[in-house]
Amino acid sequence: MDFILNPYYLQIGMFIMINAILGVSIYLTLATGQLSLGNAGFMSIGAYTSALLTLKAGFPVYLAIPIGGFAAAAVSAVIGFPALRLKGLYLAIATLGFGEVVRVVFLNLKITNGALGLSGIPSLGILLGKALSSAGFDQGMGGLSVQQLSNVSVLLILLILVVFLVFFSLRLSRCRVGRAFAAIKTDETAAEAMGINTTYYKLLAFLLGAFIAGVAGALAAHITFYIGPKDFDYHRTVEILLFAVLGGSNLVWGPILGATLLTMLPEVLRAASDYRMMIYGAILVTMMAFRPQGLISEETLRFWKAKLGRRKEHDLNS
Amino acid sequence: MILTLDQVGKDFGGLKALSDVSFTVNQGDIFGIIGPNGAGKTTLFNLITAIFPPTHGRISFKGTELVGLKPYKITALGIARTFQNIRLFSNLTVLENVMVGAHTRMKSGVWRGLWQTPAQKHEEKAARERAKDLLNFVGIEAITDLSDSLAYGQQRRLEIARALAVEPDVLLLDEPAAGMNESETEDLMHLIRQIRDMGKTIVLIEHDMNLVMNICNRLAVINFGLKIAEGTPADIQANSEVIEAYLGKEDA
Ligand SMILES: Nc1ncnc2c1ncn2[C@@H]1O[C@H](COP(=O)(O)OP(=O)(O)OP(=O)(O)O)[C@@H](O)[C@H]1O
Ligand SMILES: [Mg+2]
Repeated sequence: MDFILNPYYLQIGMFIMINAILGVSIYLTLATGQLSLGNAGFMSIGAYTSALLTLKAGFPVYLAIPIGGFAAAAVSAVIGFPALRLKGLYLAIATLGFGEVVRVVFLNLKITNGALGLSGIPSLGILLGKALSSAGFDQGMGGLSVQQLSNVSVLLILLILVVFLVFFSLRLSRCRVGRAFAAIKTDETAAEAMGINTTYYKLLAFLLGAFIAGVAGALAAHITFYIGPKDFDYHRTVEILLFAVLGGSNLVWGPILGATLLTMLPEVLRAASDYRMMIYGAILVTMMAFRPQGLISEETLRFWKAKLGRRKEHDLNS
Repeated sequence: MILTLDQVGKDFGGLKALSDVSFTVNQGDIFGIIGPNGAGKTTLFNLITAIFPPTHGRISFKGTELVGLKPYKITALGIARTFQNIRLFSNLTVLENVMVGAHTRMKSGVWRGLWQTPAQKHEEKAARERAKDLLNFVGIEAITDLSDSLAYGQQRRLEIARALAVEPDVLLLDEPAAGMNESETEDLMHLIRQIRDMGKTIVLIEHDMNLVMNICNRLAVINFGLKIAEGTPADIQANSEVIEAYLGKEDA
């Protein structure tokens, strides 16, 4: 129990959740076959919006976080119209450029405090702790201190969010919109000839991805107290892309697994953390060469379903 | 007069793929388009469905001008097509492919899909049943398999089912018998007649002369981007220019 409640592990748990949310964000844009590398940019828009609203305008955190998401979505709508005319590599390059532009803007604005970034951002943990105290839990509960209790609560809230996003993605893939996404992904011309407004659905996927990235950024800001332009440079973009490359992007489980593994990697391999980008590069190349579909694909799922199904039958028979 | 092409032309750079092609398809026709390879037949379908715009000319469907409309709008108006080089959604099952065809006839968006509201469930169930009926109609049984696991002839039939899910008034078939053997072609002819009898109008590109002469009531012949003849199968078979350009080669 103490092991799980170690603040350090709780913190890693929170980062895993944030990155899983980012994984869902890139999964959704990839669902229409668009390789957008703007997620770090959208993440930073969400983070700065929410941080500034709470720091300078006194907004409550629970309101500022979704507003961060909407701000990212609004920007994505503006750049989406021209950007989504581009295909494949051109879209990737344009969105990568967009991410850098956003970073440079935040780097040079006065209100974002330039390269120094924003600190003292109201923390979710402390806010929850205060709420718990005023609700009469100031002595903690079940042997846990208020601080532990509030950290666990933050992790729980993030977990619920991830579960909801998985639920959302799974439901989406089984409805009219999800089929339209999948059709566009394989053959845009055929999809349009079948009556799908491809521009609309591509923009929708782009917007959903940006909104979710914005929310992830806002959550990250209120968990780490501090954000700076460096947190959202192209390393971050590569990292998010790698969630999908490692885990696979055909199922929502893929990027979530990728996010989990890649968040734990530097913690497990402390000594190797200096070589993080090199390790990422190696993973990227290895995956492309040996398993371009990522760790989890439809076949993987079918294989395990069949295997587990058989085991169940076996158990019943014996 | 369900579909009318008026002086339609298409240039690709310097290449005149089509020049001043005009014809009229009537309600209930099985209208054949024949011509040698590279004559411009598929280009004609691509212009009707707005895959690309014509260089000049007008295309109208039930009195609506199609030039300038987006492909998905044209599909929604009631024109559906199949592709010469099969273009199924290989990441979807056979059934889902047909359900994609029903996209314009459905309404549910993200919100309803997320919460599976009664309206969404009802719509989804109806679409699934209808897709199953269509697959049964074209004779495909493996409906839960991925579409690219089907045999070639079955994939062509799946494309037809997917197009029928659009509930079109006009169905454009681009070489539906390509790659089929004799008995499959025979079955296909029967299927096309059945579709016509459902009240649909069919425009058909085909190289199989036996099929074309048997099921089409009218034909247009395209050669080097020009329409060189139009008429009943009997007219066409008697047309000396057509025999020289096209049919003659078959006999030789
Ligand atoms: N998108 C395009 N860009 C450039 N040229 C094209 C394009 N589509 C077709 N063409 C050219 O237009 C001409 C007509 O092609 P089209 O595909 O319409 O012929 P077709 O009559 O369908 O032939 P086939 O019987 O072989 O299918 C060909 O010379 C082809 O190379
Ligand atoms: Mg052709």
